[in-house]
Amino acid sequence: MIELRDVSRTYKRGADAIRALDHVTLDIDSGRFVALMGPSGSGKSTLLNIVAGLDRPDSGEVVVAGQKLPDMSEDELAAFRARHVGFVFQFFNLIPVLTARGNVELPLLLTHLGKAERRERALTALRIVGLEERAEHHPNELSGGEQQRVAIARAIVSDPEIVVADEPTGDLDAKNAVEILELLRALCTDFGKTVVMVTHDARAEAHVDIIHSLDKGVLADPEMAARA
Amino acid sequence: MLKFLPFIWRNLARNRLRTTLTTSAIALAVALVCLLLTMPAGLDAIMSSLASNTRIVVVNKGGLVYPLPYAYLNKIRARPGVVAATSWTWFGGAFDVDRGVTFPNFAIEPDSVGTVWEDWGIAPEQLEAFRKRRDGALVGRTTLQQNGWKIGDRVTLSSTIFPVSLEFQIVGEIPLERAPHFWFQREYLDQALRAKTGTGLDFLGTAWVRVDEADRVELLLSEIDAMFRNSEAETSSETELSYMKNFMGQLEGFVTIILIVTGLVALCLVFIAANTASMSVRERVAEIAVLKAVGFRRRLVFNTLLAEAVLLSMIGGGAGLLTALGLTQALKAAGAGWSPALGPLGSFIITPTIFVQALFLALFVGMLSGWIPAFGASRRSVASALREVF
Ligand SMILES: Nc1ncnc2c1ncn2[C@@H]1O[C@H](COP(=O)(O)OP(=O)(O)OP(=O)(O)O)[C@@H](O)[C@H]1O
Ligand SMILES: [Mg+2]
Repeated sequence: MIELRDVSRTYKRGADAIRALDHVTLDIDSGRFVALMGPSGSGKSTLLNIVAGLDRPDSGEVVVAGQKLPDMSEDELAAFRARHVGFVFQFFNLIPVLTARGNVELPLLLTHLGKAERRERALTALRIVGLEERAEHHPNELSGGEQQRVAIARAIVSDPEIVVADEPTGDLDAKNAVEILELLRALCTDFGKTVVMVTHDARAEAHVDIIHSLDKGVLADPEMAARA
Repeated sequence: MLKFLPFIWRNLARNRLRTTLTTSAIALAVALVCLLLTMPAGLDAIMSSLASNTRIVVVNKGGLVYPLPYAYLNKIRARPGVVAATSWTWFGGAFDVDRGVTFPNFAIEPDSVGTVWEDWGIAPEQLEAFRKRRDGALVGRTTLQQNGWKIGDRVTLSSTIFPVSLEFQIVGEIPLERAPHFWFQREYLDQALRAKTGTGLDFLGTAWVRVDEADRVELLLSEIDAMFRNSEAETSSETELSYMKNFMGQLEGFVTIILIVTGLVALCLVFIAANTASMSVRERVAEIAVLKAVGFRRRLVFNTLLAEAVLLSMIGGGAGLLTALGLTQALKAAGAGWSPALGPLGSFIITPTIFVQALFLALFVGMLSGWIPAFGASRRSVASALREVF
């Protein structure tokens, strides 16, 4: 599902060049729940962005869902993301002026679906995350955990194969964090999604299939998580 | 694009106070622009209501103070297309010698007055009385009021130009606020001069000519001037309208200033709207990044942001247009109703042209103000936008 070969990414900061990713090679199979861990600044977000088609490597090959991402134009990448990738961010990033349902519907505006159909699918996605009855609430009327669940509903509403999550539990308390991890786990197990999650959260080990560790842009050998 | 409209609308409604303030500012400026745009046409309309386009005035080319030979009048009357012609000769009569000349008084030919100034609405029986009485006078309304005169009064004016004093009987009123004239028979003055000095009146000040059709005016203007070219006194002929415009001096300059002010107001408008647009884009960097992550293409992001700016300024523009419409209608009603003095204000009309111009102005302001922030936001890479925010 996801193949990275010799991927490097360098940022220029003044005269210095920071090597955020250093010849990373990585394969992720379909339907897996994968964690990317490592110290701050080790390149986790950079790697995730490249996998999700938000950023491009300086060198190396990236093939996701059968598509060679580095060869694609901005618009092609946008279309790729709309079709294949769902996003969950640390700070939920819901649009405050839209209701939960409006937020979840947003990716569907890019499809040819009619109004009724969009609404129906948004409600289905909200049902999956257990928030159907909060559909007409605005983000500021929801708790952090609930907002993150709405964000997950938004990530899966267009039925992408891949869900990427950058520290999805980073801003949540223990109870909510576990709920989110269980929800992401269910996306893999029950819906066959490939979930790639960047996290600092030790609790994640109990939920994921594989943990990849990054340090200074270099990927260590993968570690099978306890449950695998 | 239509399905994005609710989303665009909600974004506008996000900061109600700011949206309201910006809309009001745009509305006010558009209303101002509309009102300014009515002015050139309005002034023109006022002029036209004061002046007739088929009345032409012939003066000495050297200037108003120089006379023309009296024989010119009959030559002008003989031209085809001339319905009637009469002359004005400045009498310079003072009612109270110490105060000097306090109103314009002219010797004229009584027969053609009614035709040349038929638009002034002088009562036919008064015109008739004027024609019959050799010492009769037609006096403008304001002059009657200022001096406390009424029809039937006898008035003596001492000329500051001719060595005579004449006694008149007021036989009629010129029923116009803006016509203070005091008219009397040329023949009366002529005979008085003959009796006193032995020579009559052989010149005139200005000749006024009524033309049968507006189409013929231009031709007649040049014909008359051509007729007297290379003679002892060359003439300069104009329609009454252009005569008044020249008299009013720098009207054209005034209109130019109005247009410059209009342009500046419009520019101001762009700055107000651009400020709002860029603020609302800046505070939404993360949201816009999310839209792009979700798969909104650059063009779509650009379009929705631009549409937001355009919608805002169109709403403001529409409100401004309605305000201006209401205001001009109110002025018109006021002019027609309780205060005739406001009458000319009814000439300031929001024409369909101005209507369309105002809408286009609002459209352009929206485009111009939204363009740069929307472009910047749509180009921004998602990864760097998200990084900056967190
Ligand atoms: N746009 C950028 N410009 C300059 N340097 C950057 C940029 N993006 C990332 N970096 C640098 O690249 C390195 C990797 O960054 P990255 O965000 O991938 O780390 P991370 O592992 O996600 O860290 P954290 O756990 O703090 O989120 C860091 O040293 C970071 O400072
Ligand atoms: Mg990170």
